Amino acid sequence: MSRITQHPILSIPKNRKTVKFTFNGRELEGIAGEPVASALIAQNITEFAIHPKGDTPQGLFCANGQCAHCTLIIDGIPQKSCVTPLQEGMQIQTLYHLPQIPDDRRPLHKVECPEFSCDVLVIGGGPSGLTATIELAQLGFKVILVDDKPQLGGKLLLQTHKFFGSIEDCYAGMRGIEIARQLDQAVRQLSKVTILTDTFVVGIYKDRKAGLFVHNKNYYLVSFEGLIVTPGAREKSLIFQGNHLPGVVGAGAFQTLVNRDLIRACQRVFIVGSGNVGLIAAYHALQAGIQVAGICDILPEVTGYQVHADKIKRMGVPLFLNHTILATEGQHKVEKVTIAAVNRDFQPILETAQSFAVDMLLIAVGLTPIDEFYEIARQFGFKVVKAGDADEIAEASSAMFGGRIAGLQMAKLLGHAVEIDEQFYQKAAILKSKPGKTYPREQVTLTEKFRPVIRCAQEIPCNPCTAVCPVHAIQLKPVQNNILDIPEYSGGCSGCMLCVLICPGLAITLARKIDEQFAEVVLPFEFIPDFAVGDFVPLTDWDGNFLEKGEVLRIRYNKKYLTYLIQVKTSLKNGTAVAGIQVQDSNQIKALPEPSFEYLPENGIVCHCELVTVKEIVDFIRKHDVRDVNQLKLIRVGMGACGGKNCLALLPRLFKEAGVDWQTVVPGTHRPLTVEVPMAAIINEDFEE
Amino acid sequence: MKTCDVLIIGAGSIGLPLSYYLARRHLRVIVIEKMPSVGRGQNRAAIGGIRATHSDPAKIAICHRTINIMRNFQTEFGYDIDWISGGYLFPIYDETNEKAFKKLIEYQKAFDLNINWISPAEIEPLAPGINPENLRGGSYSPEDGSASPLKVADAYYLLAKANGVSFHFNEEVTGFSLANDQIISVHTNQNSYAAGIVVNAAGAEAREIGQMVNLDLPVYPDSHEGGITEPVQRFFEPMIVDVRPDSQSSNYYFYQNREGQVVFCITPNPKIPGKDRDSTSYFLPLVIKRMLALYPRLRHIRIRRIWRGLYPMTPDGFPIVSFCREIKNLLLAIGMCGQGFMIGPGLGEMLAEVIADQSHAYDSIFQQLTLYRQFTGQELLK
Repeated sequence: MSRITQHPILSIPKNRKTVKFTFNGRELEGIAGEPVASALIAQNITEFAIHPKGDTPQGLFCANGQCAHCTLIIDGIPQKSCVTPLQEGMQIQTLYHLPQIPDDRRPLHKVECPEFSCDVLVIGGGPSGLTATIELAQLGFKVILVDDKPQLGGKLLLQTHKFFGSIEDCYAGMRGIEIARQLDQAVRQLSKVTILTDTFVVGIYKDRKAGLFVHNKNYYLVSFEGLIVTPGAREKSLIFQGNHLPGVVGAGAFQTLVNRDLIRACQRVFIVGSGNVGLIAAYHALQAGIQVAGICDILPEVTGYQVHADKIKRMGVPLFLNHTILATEGQHKVEKVTIAAVNRDFQPILETAQSFAVDMLLIAVGLTPIDEFYEIARQFGFKVVKAGDADEIAEASSAMFGGRIAGLQMAKLLGHAVEIDEQFYQKAAILKSKPGKTYPREQVTLTEKFRPVIRCAQEIPCNPCTAVCPVHAIQLKPVQNNILDIPEYSGGCSGCMLCVLICPGLAITLARKIDEQFAEVVLPFEFIPDFAVGDFVPLTDWDGNFLEKGEVLRIRYNKKYLTYLIQVKTSLKNGTAVAGIQVQDSNQIKALPEPSFEYLPENGIVCHCELVTVKEIVDFIRKHDVRDVNQLKLIRVGMGACGGKNCLALLPRLFKEAGVDWQTVVPGTHRPLTVEVPMAAIINEDFEE
Repeated sequence: MKTCDVLIIGAGSIGLPLSYYLARRHLRVIVIEKMPSVGRGQNRAAIGGIRATHSDPAKIAICHRTINIMRNFQTEFGYDIDWISGGYLFPIYDETNEKAFKKLIEYQKAFDLNINWISPAEIEPLAPGINPENLRGGSYSPEDGSASPLKVADAYYLLAKANGVSFHFNEEVTGFSLANDQIISVHTNQNSYAAGIVVNAAGAEAREIGQMVNLDLPVYPDSHEGGITEPVQRFFEPMIVDVRPDSQSSNYYFYQNREGQVVFCITPNPKIPGKDRDSTSYFLPLVIKRMLALYPRLRHIRIRRIWRGLYPMTPDGFPIVSFCREIKNLLLAIGMCGQGFMIGPGLGEMLAEVIADQSHAYDSIFQQLTLYRQFTGQELLK
């Protein structure tokens, strides 16, 4: 593991300030202000803590401050390393079992309990929170916008790929990081908005106040008239043997390490889940110089956008559909993953097992809305609106729209006469659409004039190719009469290549016949080319099948779209088929010659904070006739640092396994705090000030 | 109509041990609980402290018994209930309280309780780093302790079930049929029951149950908030109670449970009457500033969760344990004033003897807790 020193999309800041620190006495160097966790992972240190239950190694898990897996002893105090900025001279130690708190006898220094008030408190500065804030501030409302990260933008900050959707409504064709930058600028220009970053909302209280944990050391109370809940989603957990090992992370944690902190988080990764999150994470891995051994999904088809999946396949990443994960194994961290095909009942066929040597496993099996704040505010009778993934899991494009609607709805709730355009709802609904029908791809015959070859054949809400074309040579073929329709070429291409550059799915090439033997094709390419003009590169078809080696004729780079255009010479017969350049050599990512694994799914961890296994929970449900999730507290399920954020969603399956109908089970109770807060922070004791 | 010897309303801190001790004496027991599982009323909100060092004969006797049960629980029943004999420490910082506590200790000693006034130097090793400024000493009772309310409730549930107690969850009492000053049947939203004795052990709902038989039981819940931290290595032993009031609260107390988590709670002043259990914003700053002034070492510990629980209060701060004159077969075990967890096991054992064996050994104790007292006194150490 190391730092990313070059990246096709992200700029690597130069002359970052380095600081010295020690880990278990060893002197190391990191970058000032980066999370301690990232600094350690850059140094190949992945084992952060030894859990008292079974002396189990623990490492970074959520990279989001939500759990406490990455707790380390930092300058004598247990702290979450993923949200603790690295400073010069820090002394960092592995947390062995329970932390010893320092013998700090300094008398109480000071007590402060600052309180603020606003019209609307917005929880979460991602795409929907930002747009909601902008709407409200423009109407004159005083808004406090809170986000738990150092920068606004939410998951947009991790999205180095171009966005789907439409240009006029949601920045289609622009990369997430750039959208975040624009929204951040827009919101910072509004005088009615107070922005608090690095701030966790830890509780919504009955007296219509929220408790904020600010910059890891302060606690503010904020009273509000209305609440907008846009904290996004959390990743679903997955149960399998070895799912607790350091190196098993969510896709969000991976993207945070790679795209935000610029850490090459591992050498080789395997990904579970073929939704857009998993597919995009694979792409991000490749861009960061990380090998992707494969993506598996238990379903027979890719669940994300087809264009994303095809893009990944063209890069040389194998997709294992109808496959499930059996186990990850390793001494101190993930060293190996084993997968197997499943039968019609989704049960693994052990004879088909394949093991891969990997040092990271990414879980991308879906998202669940973070809607606890909404639910509690509703119970308390507060004026509350939710939007984005907290409302419904969908693309950021629809979240931006949903945020605007939420802002206007809140304005209405607060008595402001405002009409919400009916079109807003229609557009938001379309942008939320799941991928629809797939059509056969158009047969194209090349002429000597360049023309686009469009492989976009699945109904997804996206149309920037039509908007960007200066000669209106691409239109949507009207079926549903909205942006789900498929684009088609109607002739008259000027060869400007904007469609090639803007297509988020990299689903358009420009091609022409050179002569009866050869064609030339312009391909979009989002990697730093490791080839030069005159070299021969492996070309694949749309589905990733190798076609031929083609000569590179020209390499251009477009600064606006941060995309290379690679012009290659191919045989004429492949001229319309060529769709990509393989970036990963399949020989390097092959399965191990012999699969080796133990299959003990009942040992899979459900509650990661307290390391409670499937077996322990199922046995307990049976023995105690459990019909109330709260009863599981007896075996500490939900009692850990995260408060059940990971495990509660897994419980229906376990009750079923124990022979209990989930519908008859009373759900668990959510109580504040949602994130642990040191006592000193509660009263803003703050010795340093 | 289902029949039994004793029907208990409420599967909480009081009802659960009682059900077990009755069943062990071969009585047929039914427990009606409106929540979906055991301990879902105030048991789950209990902090976990158990002390015999009260200021009245009844609670001293009952809780002394509880401590004996808790201490031997694992040996006798095989369930680990996280018992710690960490003692109770009341650190005292002013002359008035020093006098009051020294006087109280003399009283407590008369009941053979192991409690002493200890010096600041003796306090320090019990709670290393406790604020020494103006510390005059404190009252310390090493045999008191703590256990997990969750685990105790579950253990009694399993023990009771194994001894034949029949539990009916998600069932709410809706009314009673009376004849000749007796309850002849108990009606719920699902069933009717006939019982020799009916026990009101409904905690914060005790008054509502009383109203169904036209009894105005003086039990008025008020709410207290509590919290728990992350687990850390054990660094102090006793339950620490700070009795100094401030402008918004009277006492507060905290200890470190077997997991290593610090559990804390404060008594608001003025009281917050009612049954609202939703967390408020003022609890944490209020309790933390007091805790850190007393024990600055706590500052680095992270708070994990907070909650609110109800103290079913009586006018004088003492429980009501009493058969009713108006309804002969109605036994009240109510108004535990926030101490149901420490009272429950001892009380359960004693009441079982009274009910099953017609024992009169505790008559004087229960006389103190009768419903028909004047309620004019005032509990000193709530």
